[in-house]
Amino acid sequence: MNKPRKKRATLVTAAVLFFLLSFASVSQIQPFLKVSVRDYEEFSRVTIEPSFPLSFEIEKGSSFLLVKIAIDIPFRIQRESFDSRIIKSFGWTRGGDYTILTIKTKLRDFSYDYFILDNPTQLILDFSEAEDETQEVDRMRQREIRSQLDATLSRDRDESASQDIQTIVIDPGHGGMEPGAQGKFGTLEKDIALALALKLKAVIEKNLPVRVVLTRQSDVRVSLENRAAIANYNKADLFISIHINSSFRKDAHGSETFFLSREASDDEARMLAYLENNPTEIEQGIGADSQDEITMILWDMAQSAYLKESSQLAETIQEELNHLLRTRNRGIKQAPFKVLTGVACPAVLVEVAFISNPDEERKLNTEWFQNNVVEAIYRGVENYIDRFGRL
Amino acid sequence: MERKRIVILGVLFVVLVILVVVFFRSGLKEKIIPAAPPLPPEVEQELAQPGQTKTVVLFFLSEEDTLLHAEEREIPADTSLVRQAKRTIQELIKGSQRGYISPFPPETQLRELYMTGEGVACVDFSKDIVENHLSGSSAEIATIFSVVNSLAYNFNSIEKVFILIEGRERETLGGHINLSRPFLPLYDLIAQ
Repeated sequence: MNKPRKKRATLVTAAVLFFLLSFASVSQIQPFLKVSVRDYEEFSRVTIEPSFPLSFEIEKGSSFLLVKIAIDIPFRIQRESFDSRIIKSFGWTRGGDYTILTIKTKLRDFSYDYFILDNPTQLILDFSEAEDETQEVDRMRQREIRSQLDATLSRDRDESASQDIQTIVIDPGHGGMEPGAQGKFGTLEKDIALALALKLKAVIEKNLPVRVVLTRQSDVRVSLENRAAIANYNKADLFISIHINSSFRKDAHGSETFFLSREASDDEARMLAYLENNPTEIEQGIGADSQDEITMILWDMAQSAYLKESSQLAETIQEELNHLLRTRNRGIKQAPFKVLTGVACPAVLVEVAFISNPDEERKLNTEWFQNNVVEAIYRGVENYIDRFGRL
Repeated sequence: MERKRIVILGVLFVVLVILVVVFFRSGLKEKIIPAAPPLPPEVEQELAQPGQTKTVVLFFLSEEDTLLHAEEREIPADTSLVRQAKRTIQELIKGSQRGYISPFPPETQLRELYMTGEGVACVDFSKDIVENHLSGSSAEIATIFSVVNSLAYNFNSIEKVFILIEGRERETLGGHINLSRPFLPLYDLIAQ
């Protein structure tokens, strides 16, 4: 009688214990780190998504990148298999309170960029080939940082001074593999934009004592960021991007001049937050570590410091386009154009006419129309300089 | 015998208590933070009325003035905010009843729509929106801001809209408008 009861009691206890212990082991969810790789046209993106708060440092080697992640508890690594042009493999080294992730690339040298996304926290690393040209552009950017920061911070004080106009950068839209919009008769936006830009350069150089730089001189593809970098490197005082418009049906017509619309306040808030958190940098200059972050923020807010001048330039150009071409007044508009974002001077984007409108497509291919457009933009620039600038 | 059994059971009980304490106090002190805060109760109640509909305003393109024009639709109101927002975008893709232009390639599909914190709605479209797009500034602006304005105008909790293509970020649709940051609505583009 006693024995079976004792046995039963032990069994029940054992069962309860077993249940609790197995539950405990399952519920002890280990922190994890997800790593994935995706190739884009111009870069490979490594996304690191930890289930824990992320604190990290990045160090670049010749063909690899080290990401030192501060974590003192064991964690699992979830990695999707991948096949990438640039990323070769990952290596993990665990130390006491950190883990080092080595990202090996297939390249002898590379350039990278990183940013952090919230919800869920993700560290995004973009790897691209360090071609001579991109390296050059990177260096251009780096060199611009200081002067851009100075300019941005001193702008409030120096609002009334009129501008010296020495360099004008003209940006023919699209190019190379990226033709832009296409008309019914096969006209390509990239070709007309380049033709107009070359003509505009000639007219400006003939009439004004300024240097004119094109972001592309032939049918090649230039990334949107590099177009802005070319302008900043050349210390552009005005930036004019030339595009041909397109819409859903054939009715839309006329010229429009755009300048950037942005949540400038967002960017300024970001910049202020950054400077508040790193107060010594204003006095001591910017350390190499934080240059990337500064670059990124400045890149984002470069244009927001010039919105007023950009709207004035848009206005003077649009006036002339309306007047000379007798196209319907579509007015100046604001939109978040990628190419204008990083430009650190007054910058506009001119949509000359609609390639989706057969009548305007035909006109766009004629010399007289192209010359009229160039004349109008030139007069707009001239008026802007008369009113707001100084040669 | 009786006493020995009590002792054994007592010991087992103590072990059990210790294990329970260890079980509940140990672990890595991880907290599961919900991705989005739950809707406040009054909103839930408002949504919970079955059969109710809600009037939403959709913004379509007119090529007369290349501005966006408002058009009303009734959508079921007895669903979550995310479903209402999805329905709004689906109605937008479906097209206008007054001859305005729905500024999407007709094959475009809404893959997903979800809210992240801070009032950002992520709207994920199929690749058709890029592959069959006309890649002109006006076309891009119309496509993007018909979505952004339609969501921000109708749903107070949507402040910004982030557009994804096939679940991924993209720089632009066709080389013009910057998709890499969330959009605020641009009501200047709406016809008076």
